[in-house]
Amino acid sequence: MPSKKKTKPDLSVDFAGIRLKNPVLTASGTFGYGEEFADIIDLNRLGGVIVKGISLKPITGNPPPRIWETPSGMLNAIGLENPGVDVFLRDKLPFLRNYDIAVLVNIFGYCLEDYVGVAERLDGVPGVSGLEVNISCPNVKAGGIVFGTDLKAAFELLSAVRKATRLPVIAKLSPNVTDITAFARTARDAGCDGLSLINTLLGMAIDIRSRRPRLANCTGGLSGPAIRPVAVRMVWQAAKAVDLPLIGMGGIMTHEDALEFILAGASAVAVGTANFVNPRATLDIIGGMEAFLVQEGIGSVRELVGKVCVA
Amino acid sequence: MPSNKLHRAKVLLHRPAGRGYYRLVLLAPGLAAAAAPGHFVMLRVSANLDPLLARPFGISSVIAKRSIELYYRVAGRGTTLLTAVEPGRTLDLLGPLGNGFPVPDRAATPLLVAGGSGFPPLLYFSSRYGKQARLFVGSRDKECLPPAAVMKDLRSRTKAVHYATEDGSRGACGFVTDTLAAYLARPAAGESPVIYACGPNAMLASVSRLAAEHSIPCYVSLEERMACGLGVCMGCSVSMKSGGYKRVCKEGPVFDSREIDWGGKTILQVGR
Ligand SMILES: Cc1cc2nc3c(=O)[nH]c(=O)nc-3n(C[C@H](O)[C@H](O)[C@H](O)COP(=O)(O)OP(=O)(O)OC[C@H]3O[C@@H](n4cnc5c(N)ncnc54)[C@H](O)[C@@H]3O)c2cc1C
Ligand SMILES: Cc1cc2nc3c(=O)[nH]c(=O)nc-3n(C[C@H](O)[C@H](O)[C@H](O)COP(=O)(O)O)c2cc1C
Ligand code: FES
Repeated sequence: MPSKKKTKPDLSVDFAGIRLKNPVLTASGTFGYGEEFADIIDLNRLGGVIVKGISLKPITGNPPPRIWETPSGMLNAIGLENPGVDVFLRDKLPFLRNYDIAVLVNIFGYCLEDYVGVAERLDGVPGVSGLEVNISCPNVKAGGIVFGTDLKAAFELLSAVRKATRLPVIAKLSPNVTDITAFARTARDAGCDGLSLINTLLGMAIDIRSRRPRLANCTGGLSGPAIRPVAVRMVWQAAKAVDLPLIGMGGIMTHEDALEFILAGASAVAVGTANFVNPRATLDIIGGMEAFLVQEGIGSVRELVGKVCVA
Repeated sequence: MPSNKLHRAKVLLHRPAGRGYYRLVLLAPGLAAAAAPGHFVMLRVSANLDPLLARPFGISSVIAKRSIELYYRVAGRGTTLLTAVEPGRTLDLLGPLGNGFPVPDRAATPLLVAGGSGFPPLLYFSSRYGKQARLFVGSRDKECLPPAAVMKDLRSRTKAVHYATEDGSRGACGFVTDTLAAYLARPAAGESPVIYACGPNAMLASVSRLAAEHSIPCYVSLEERMACGLGVCMGCSVSMKSGGYKRVCKEGPVFDSREIDWGGKTILQVGR
């Protein structure tokens, strides 16, 4: 007979109208479209999957070398290689629909019309829970200025995507800006339902013997534990600036790391580079989070959101 | 849910193998049962966050159906840290990964071409399909050849070993591709060669060109830096002749050499 069994803490969250059974998602570009992980972990235990960035047309990506390991992190310049939205819908999404998890589709483009095109194609598609809009791309029609580092360009882009879909729109902010709160407010003003942060920090590494950059693309995005304090700080600042739910990410390896983001103000977290290092990282984090809540006598993870004590 | 790729393996044996290599034997029955020549593993060299990423290593043998053997050259920080791991410890690894070598036709003569530290997958290959095979092995000097114990196994499993060293200290003086070219110019009667090669890219590019000149099939096992080993990060991609890229960890590491866009890499050189 079950005696005084401790009640399980509640890990579920409602994120901008998307029900997540726990706050742990996989970060875009670090989990493919789920298939490769399906024989390693039980995908049904995840809060959700944010898929690899999808564009209107297929993109072949950058020449190699595309990655370089750095102290507690890595640089990548993959070049957003992906098969395009049509192949995604035909070959990739049906697989994910076998699972009872939220599916956020990360979208991007190189001009406003491309973003709008993908958003329209995904509108009303069963199995898609929401859009995460990667705004860290250059606008080739406007001299290559990066949408996510220009307030006006970001506003126009996010407003246009907002109009193109009925799905929840989550703006994925670039950390390569001086004031993250200005971009958080811009995304809110453009009608976004939530924010994701942070994307990778722009970095570079050089081979001193050949004197050449380590990446064929010269620069790349820095991810992994090396960027975590920057990410926690930005989540904290954004959470104070806007009243939108946030997905926090950047270097999360353990449940302790994830809880830092939640205390800083994130309602959900995404695990990225950690998936490469430990393919079970997401499940370990969920388990660790649950154990922590039990230990601390906290009934629901929602009680911790934004609860960092600042004197 | 059982995971068939993720393993926590006990270190059964770990010791220097000579010539800058270590031999590492790991108890991993599930992995051993599924392995084939050309497969590799992603091994975490430490539990710390620096270095962060696991390292790829080719499987050199399956022992008693329950263990796998790796040979690694101490090349940098990760492999240096790995040398300190004591028998009895457990290591996290993923595998078997990638697509291995195609099984040779019974009438074929596999020509195994090993340069630098590219011998491990060919050592495994030789244990299954070595009888009809010839080995072409090359290095800078005789001290940079595969470890003596490995060479002994390779000699006993294959029907001939063709050595090349750049300083002439063992076998022909020159590159492994020189001895291969000499053989291909006058192959032994009745042999129908198929090349299986692993080594530095520049060597593979030259081997691939030789194969094309002689119109013989050629399979190359490529090395590229990897983050995930699972096909999700797209970090290990190599250029294809047909345009676009393929992932070394997923579609490779073994490719038909005709598929690869070798770019300007045909420099006749063999790494350390
Ligand atoms: C599919 C595959 C199978 C491999 N099998 C073996 C094997 O059986 N035995 C073995 O000794 N080595 C093998 N390698 C190479 C091995 O992975 C690298 O030597 C190792 O990752 C170096 O780690 P490190 O931290 O010591 O070196 P680092 O400090 O990272 O670098 C030191 C040197 O190693 C080179 N290197 C680093 N990573 C790689 C890589 N992924 N591929 C090739 N060179 C690299 C660097 O260019 C540099 O010159 C394989 C690589 C691949 C991709
Ligand atoms: C190899 C790789 C590919 C990525 N691809 C994408 C992508 O397609 N779209 C996107 O918005 N972010 C992409 N990212 C960024 C991650 O989603 C995440 O924001 C970032 O890596 C920080 O989290 P982490 O430190 O946990 O990895 C990628 C990151 C890596 C390492
Ligand atoms: S190493 Fe990640 S795709 Fe090959």
